[in-house]
Amino acid sequence: MPDTLVTAAAPPVDLEPQLLALGRELSERRSPLHAATRGAYDRAMALAASDPQLRAALFRLVDVAPACAGSAELAEHLAAYLEELDEPAPPVALGTRAATSPLARRATGRVAATLVRSMAGRFIVGESVAAAAPVLGRLWQRNTAVTVDLLGEATVTPAEGEAYARRCHEALISLTAASKAWPERPLLERDGIGRLPRVNLSVKVTALTPLTRAEAPDRGRLDAARHLRALLRRAKELNAHLHVDMESMASRELILELVLDLLDEPEFADGPSTGLVLQAYLRDSEELLDRILERTAAAQRAVPLTVRLVKGAYWDHETIEAAQNGWTPPVWTDKAESDRCFERLTRRLLDAHPLVRTAIASHNLRSVAHAVAYARHVGLQPRDFELQVLRGLGDDLQDALAAAGLRGRTYCPVGDMVAGMAYLVRRLLENTSNTSFLASRASGSDLEELLRRP
Amino acid sequence: MTDFRNEPFLELRRAHERDRLIAALDAFDAAPPIEVPVIVGGERRVDPTAASVDPGMPDRVVAAATTATPAEVDAAVEAAGAAARVWGGMPAAERAAILARAAGELRSRRYELAALAVRECAKPWVEADIDVCEAIDFLEYYSRRAVLLDAGPELIQLPGERNTLHYRPRGVSAVIAPWNFPIAIATGMTAAGLATGNAVCLKPAEQSPACAFALVEALERAGVPAGAIALLPGEGDVGAALADHPGVHTIAFTGSGAVGLEILRRAAEPRDGRRHLKRVVAEMGGKNCLIVDADADLDDVVPAVLASAFGFAGQKCSAASRVLVHERVADVLSERLRGSLETLLVGQAETFGTDVPPLIEGASRDRVERVVAEAVQAGAEAERVRRLPDGDGFFSAPTVVFGAPPESFVVREEIFGPVVTVEPVASVDAACDIVDAQAHALTGGLFSRNPRTIAAVARRTPVGNLYVNRGTTGSMVGRQPFGGNRLSGTGTKAGGPDYLLHFVEPVVVTENTVRHGLAP
Ligand SMILES: Cc1cc2nc3c(=O)[nH]c(=O)nc-3n(C[C@H](O)[C@H](O)[C@H](O)COP(=O)(O)OP(=O)(O)OC[C@H]3O[C@@H](n4cnc5c(N)ncnc54)[C@H](O)[C@@H]3O)c2cc1C
Repeated sequence: MPDTLVTAAAPPVDLEPQLLALGRELSERRSPLHAATRGAYDRAMALAASDPQLRAALFRLVDVAPACAGSAELAEHLAAYLEELDEPAPPVALGTRAATSPLARRATGRVAATLVRSMAGRFIVGESVAAAAPVLGRLWQRNTAVTVDLLGEATVTPAEGEAYARRCHEALISLTAASKAWPERPLLERDGIGRLPRVNLSVKVTALTPLTRAEAPDRGRLDAARHLRALLRRAKELNAHLHVDMESMASRELILELVLDLLDEPEFADGPSTGLVLQAYLRDSEELLDRILERTAAAQRAVPLTVRLVKGAYWDHETIEAAQNGWTPPVWTDKAESDRCFERLTRRLLDAHPLVRTAIASHNLRSVAHAVAYARHVGLQPRDFELQVLRGLGDDLQDALAAAGLRGRTYCPVGDMVAGMAYLVRRLLENTSNTSFLASRASGSDLEELLRRP
Repeated sequence: MTDFRNEPFLELRRAHERDRLIAALDAFDAAPPIEVPVIVGGERRVDPTAASVDPGMPDRVVAAATTATPAEVDAAVEAAGAAARVWGGMPAAERAAILARAAGELRSRRYELAALAVRECAKPWVEADIDVCEAIDFLEYYSRRAVLLDAGPELIQLPGERNTLHYRPRGVSAVIAPWNFPIAIATGMTAAGLATGNAVCLKPAEQSPACAFALVEALERAGVPAGAIALLPGEGDVGAALADHPGVHTIAFTGSGAVGLEILRRAAEPRDGRRHLKRVVAEMGGKNCLIVDADADLDDVVPAVLASAFGFAGQKCSAASRVLVHERVADVLSERLRGSLETLLVGQAETFGTDVPPLIEGASRDRVERVVAEAVQAGAEAERVRRLPDGDGFFSAPTVVFGAPPESFVVREEIFGPVVTVEPVASVDAACDIVDAQAHALTGGLFSRNPRTIAAVARRTPVGNLYVNRGTTGSMVGRQPFGGNRLSGTGTKAGGPDYLLHFVEPVVVTENTVRHGLAP
């Protein structure tokens, strides 16, 4: 496909050397082993990455764990998943055998449950905001800002939407209280444009409304608007930042129009600080950015919109759905295309400063180094753009960013295991997909190779 | 010929596709009602006596249909008999090319046809589009399968003899079609008959004559010869006369159990000096159960139940009508289902986002209301959507029934409306026992995350189509061949590899090739 946009905004040739140097620097600054959960988790991930069937079995186990009534039931599921493997690996054969006697079965189940819990513990900061608060405080202390995401089950009833909205309000209030005790961190609290809120909450629109209908975005938009408007008021009152996550194609138009419309309302002209997400894996992400920039310019709000640039977390879902319906996938099919698109959008977003604030969210050292190098190239200060990582996936990068004097923020999911399952499975899938940066690095790929232009 | 691929659905999540459909509907509404003729031997007679109306606004006449007379039924079968010899004598590949052209005709009119299904049957847009796609699929799929079938299977060959098996068309097929998939099912049964070289006399449902007419137009334009396709609009008496006609060899029927059984019974009686056994392909009702195990992901179960029970207001033979849920999760699921009922938009089919359209006619609505009232009288609790649109459309509130006595009508009989019962069960096995005790066996659903449970249910279920961890509706041609067992049907699978066998007769030719001890 001829891509005129690539040539129009081709990276300056002289960016590569600085980019490589930055990538090497960040790589060296990465903290060594992180967290206590590493052992079991790493072994499980290595096993999963080695065999796609085993990987599927592992994910299904994680997925079903919260629905199992006890360790025997979990072991029964584990045994059933392992039975489906073509050639069970040695530890697997053990698992199958273990599930035969009731006593052994409970023991296997307990081991599996521990494994699942330890995986969850890696990605989920705490069961509640209160439980998570000390962790968030420690991150802040180490010069990393946070955004909190409240995990939830799918919203299928209005009451569930209300309950999620209520949790969001409570989270804003309790985070505000907790953040009062945090020490001053100048890099995290002010950029060239103005003040940056300490409290930052990421919300999912499909958790606010049960009315997501891909063919009727207005239904969900009108329903979610009530809740989101109230949350924006709350955020404004508390001086907090509200970030609206982007989800799958089924809700994309709903979310984009919802946020842009609400921000046009006069009461939000002077706050709160708000953000939305742009997914570079979408083939039409450049046009979406056009739309966002046009609407933002027209809105003339006192507080600029924050755009979090991501690659996109629903790649498998979008690809499968498109195949089943006979559609051209809305996402790129070659990983490098997503990476290149991410870089194009990075440059366009940083060019748009200060109309929008940019947050680059990636664990890919190349993508991150590119953003930093380009920001420097166009004369932006470190405080003028943000780099975001996910808890459990980007912990070492987060520390490297802080050590390099860059402004980082970690996305911290909060909630119980049942609610967190969909999130957890998505992260695990991502982390062991053979196209993923983290998986390539874990399997020992050469740094220069990883930093090469996509 | 290229490999079969399902026709892509419109990507209705994109605004420009929705705009095109709305424009098509505007154009449709601006035109006068469609005049549906009787078509016999390529001749049309237009003298409308019956109307199809918009179920959401019964004042709006969608089509004015001419009713076929008994003489026209006779003439149609006779013309079909003659045409069948020509059509059936054509190479299968030529017939396939014509049917592929007919698919192209439908494809080129897909926006307009979807608008027609919206108006004539109150199919919401998403489902109207699916109906058009499925019709295209049937033409493309059966025409390909017919070419493969024509090659005949391999037989064992020994020296000195040549054995061949080929399939002959049976002659004249009567197609008696329903209104609930107004384009797709009529097209499927018709395409199967035509692809295998039979002539077809099509009797559409009286509620959807214009959808059937669109199909016949496409076939005619594509080059199906006059006489090989007849259109005989009318009520049940026209269908009965057609099915009874001695010149008919195969009857393809989709509809109610009562009519289907009557057709089967009459087809079996040798009368009128007939020289053949009529074959009946009958697709009848269901009483479909969706089993929910304790380990199911309720986040998925709730939307699947809503879609399966209330999609197109439950007017699908595949619709879920009983949820058999493991007692451990019954309360939670019931609670979430109750709450989710409020999210259903009952509205006009033309409104994007409508979840539940009106029922096809007033009588259906009245019947459903009676069933719900009786269930409540019998001590059940009925949770219903409270907001219904104004006007005199045939709307019926989606209903979840809890605590219905096991012997009550709502639990035992097909309802064909937006009603589903929820019944706690002690185990998946207990649920299977319930399914096993039923007379119907069309579709079934299972939500479980244990592969052993899934395998066990798949082994013992009597249903024709078992759907695991998804809704029970929406079968796709070539991917989920569709049809029921027991009293649900003759066990045939529409859109499957062996469906066409019901429209042909096998002939085996054995030639002795030995001449004076010499075999070539
Ligand atoms: C702070 C933060 C917030 C986030 N918020 C959101 C959000 O709101 N919405 C959202 O959707 N995601 C969100 N994500 C997830 C993000 O979209 C990515 O899934 C994740 O960050 C992995 O990308 P990467 O650049 O880190 O890693 P990489 O390994 O470089 O990239 C992996 C990504 O590449 C893409 N990809 C994989 N295979 C292919 C292929 N064959 N062809 C084309 N592309 C492919 C996928 O998007 C995949 O996630 C967030 C991530 C972070 C760090």
